[in-house]
Amino acid sequence: MPEENSIGNGVFAGVDVGSLGTKSVVLRGSEIVGKVIIPSRLNSEEGGQEALDLALEDAGLTRADVDFIVSTGYGRISATYANKTVTEITCHAKGANFLHPNVRTIIDIGGQDCKAIRVDRNGAVVDFAMNDKCAAGTGRFLEVMSNVFKVPLSELGELSLKATQAIPMSSTCTVFVESEVISLLARGENPANIIAGIHHAIANRVGGLFARVGIESEVYFSGGVAKNVGMKKAVEKALKVVVAEPKIDPQLTGALGAAALARAFAAKEAANRILAA
Amino acid sequence: MSGSLNTIRKIREALEARPGEIERLKSEGRKVVGWINYNIPEELILALDLIPLRLGKGGDDRLVELGSRWISTKNCVFVRELVGLFAENEDPYIAASDLVAVDATCMQIFRAGEIVQYYFKKPVVILGVPRSFATPEGAEYFRHEVGHFAERLEDFAGRKITREALTESVALLGAIRSALDEIYTWQAADGALISWRETLEVVQAGNVLDRRRYLSLLHELVSELQEKQATDEIVDDREEARIFLSGSIVPPGDRKIVGILEELGARIVGDDLWSGLAPQLGVEVAEPTIAGIADAYLGRVPHGALPYLDLASDRRIANLKDLVDRFKAHAVVYHTLRYCDPYTFKGNETKIVLSEEGIPFLELHTEYSGSDYEAIRTRAEAFVELVRNRNLLEV
Repeated sequence: MPEENSIGNGVFAGVDVGSLGTKSVVLRGSEIVGKVIIPSRLNSEEGGQEALDLALEDAGLTRADVDFIVSTGYGRISATYANKTVTEITCHAKGANFLHPNVRTIIDIGGQDCKAIRVDRNGAVVDFAMNDKCAAGTGRFLEVMSNVFKVPLSELGELSLKATQAIPMSSTCTVFVESEVISLLARGENPANIIAGIHHAIANRVGGLFARVGIESEVYFSGGVAKNVGMKKAVEKALKVVVAEPKIDPQLTGALGAAALARAFAAKEAANRILAA
Repeated sequence: MSGSLNTIRKIREALEARPGEIERLKSEGRKVVGWINYNIPEELILALDLIPLRLGKGGDDRLVELGSRWISTKNCVFVRELVGLFAENEDPYIAASDLVAVDATCMQIFRAGEIVQYYFKKPVVILGVPRSFATPEGAEYFRHEVGHFAERLEDFAGRKITREALTESVALLGAIRSALDEIYTWQAADGALISWRETLEVVQAGNVLDRRRYLSLLHELVSELQEKQATDEIVDDREEARIFLSGSIVPPGDRKIVGILEELGARIVGDDLWSGLAPQLGVEVAEPTIAGIADAYLGRVPHGALPYLDLASDRRIANLKDLVDRFKAHAVVYHTLRYCDPYTFKGNETKIVLSEEGIPFLELHTEYSGSDYEAIRTRAEAFVELVRNRNLLEV
């Protein structure tokens, strides 16, 4: 296999078009040189293009410099700019492995789904499980809750740390919890305790996914929800694990994995060309 | 490559002509027995010169909604669609059925049978099925029930089952099962001339076609495959994800999981579905009598709806492993319909057993609606990536 730095310009990009955020990471060899997170657009193709261009701008590069692009996320199908598309499950696994080679278990909570992923030492997926079709216990769910509490999404985690107890929630269904929260607030419950309860309900739901795939140390928490410190704490408690400290914004993990896979695909193509010559 | 077989075209033509043919036969005085589930011995229906039709379709959410007016939404979509088919009464095979035979293997289908009789006024005959085929009491009960079922059919037909007629029907269905088994071997071969999807289409054509005509078409198909064998190509399957499909029913009309897997470039190479290969396997009729037929059905791999607590001796698991091996599958996709509890409950233990053999396993839990299409597609695609990645590493 050719040295990755010797493939073309040695520049590889990943684009992760999620339901709430579109992310892009640019690698030069093994170094992250550009990254961006923008809100997802109605048109996923345009959103992907925009994120890619912004990440390249962040790296001081242009499209002409990129050797290989991998797209992932729900918008991967409409990605004419990409050389290849890969599922977010494979990309989150690869991204986590890129940052933390000892990680064997990944929790990914994104905008509209959550996943439990087991990987081998190469970051290849060994097993995985995803939540059912509704958005219960996902980023979208927390977004709805932040509207109920009139608190920015980014502050939900910090607020939950002030809780004196976690109020048990009877469901993780977005609609049911919204009415339950409104009732609890009307009864004068402490908002921090309710938010902590919501985090624990989601964490227990994630625990159900791991009952299907198992947990092996180390554990990494990826996706936008991983930025919520209260959620991280609740996951650690529910799964009885210590989550590795992220080396980059965990919302970028999928895009990083896509970029790392772009590098691997480019190397494979270069090797095939050498063999064919 | 698949997609170019003359006999498949002939089978499709025969299917198109079949509703008209049944109408004509009925006008000449022939009677139709529509049956549902897994353990109805068609041998008995044929031996009385009745026309057997295996009923049920899938994939139509409109009919599911319609059926939900009569049966609880906590039943699987296949059962709800089945009730919807009877409510609408536009499916030619449902409409043509003079008697509906239901075996009480899956209790949701048994309930559907009750609804068909109560609300839609179709005569229904129930074949009782023991919860365990492995106990002497269960076997005795089933023999008794098959005898009773035969009497009900005789009353309906207005004649008695003769040994000669039974000998003939046993031979006919035996030949059909054997031909289908052979076709399954063909579809799993390298560079197969027939795909699994076509094979399933052929199996399900047998639900309604005249059984003698059907056997002749199957023989023709086998001959065509043999003739074309010389052009067969050997393919490098490292990039191929050979998937074995297990779990809940995939009836005619349900294209969701199969369509997604094929769209992703995976190749289905076999199944143990009760709408596919399962009913074709292991029916050994030692003597052409009603008791002999009952014993033959008792000897089959039991249906998933029947409880079996001892995992180590569960014949369904052993059968699954044998078939995965026979069809050289790389992985198992286990399809479960929401509220199809028997298969859903067995998903995780099946996964554990297969993981001990190093066989990757993915459960896809779904319904007929399109709301989870992308989520199912993502799971399936990630699984195909996992399988391909594994194959490449093993080279």
